[in-house]
Amino acid sequence: MNWWLLAAVVLVVGGFAPALYLTSRGAAVERLIGMELAGAVAVLVLLLLAQGFGQPQYLIVPLVLVLLSFAGTLVFTRLLGTRS
Amino acid sequence: MTALGGALVALGVTVVVLSALGTLLLPSLFPRLHLLTPVTSLGGPLVGAGLAVVNGWTLTTATVLLTVALLALTGPVLGAATGRVAAQQEGLLDEGEPE
Repeated sequence: MNWWLLAAVVLVVGGFAPALYLTSRGAAVERLIGMELAGAVAVLVLLLLAQGFGQPQYLIVPLVLVLLSFAGTLVFTRLLGTRS
Repeated sequence: MTALGGALVALGVTVVVLSALGTLLLPSLFPRLHLLTPVTSLGGPLVGAGLAVVNGWTLTTATVLLTVALLALTGPVLGAATGRVAAQQEGLLDEGEPE
């Protein structure tokens, strides 16, 4: 295990776990905040994993995830709005 | 240069972890929304800058920087959209305001 993978583990434990907890509790909008946080942390974790494993071709995954989580969260904000 | 890159990544990871833990401590919705911004606008670019310093001027760096730039650009948009939905649900918006 190198330092990049260690940083990824720290992010998963300290960043992704709180985001999952937020996503599982409270009202719908509060859960949405947890999901946004989880998406952002997941992107950074995947960047660090690609660096840690020395596989730059894996970087397409976080790049696509940024765009998909953006569109996905916007869909959720639309669906949760009172006037649709 | 590896030490500088590692330090930048460590700083970014610290910012993200502190923000994520801070969202757990804050009691209500709108303060939590504030803590999303450091993750996308500060933590992400710091991690990306650290990886860029380590990798040098390569295609890897370009992909990393594009990813964190998109993260920094889309983060505030999502924060505003979420804040608007929350304000709608709590009845804080007037009917006449544009959607």
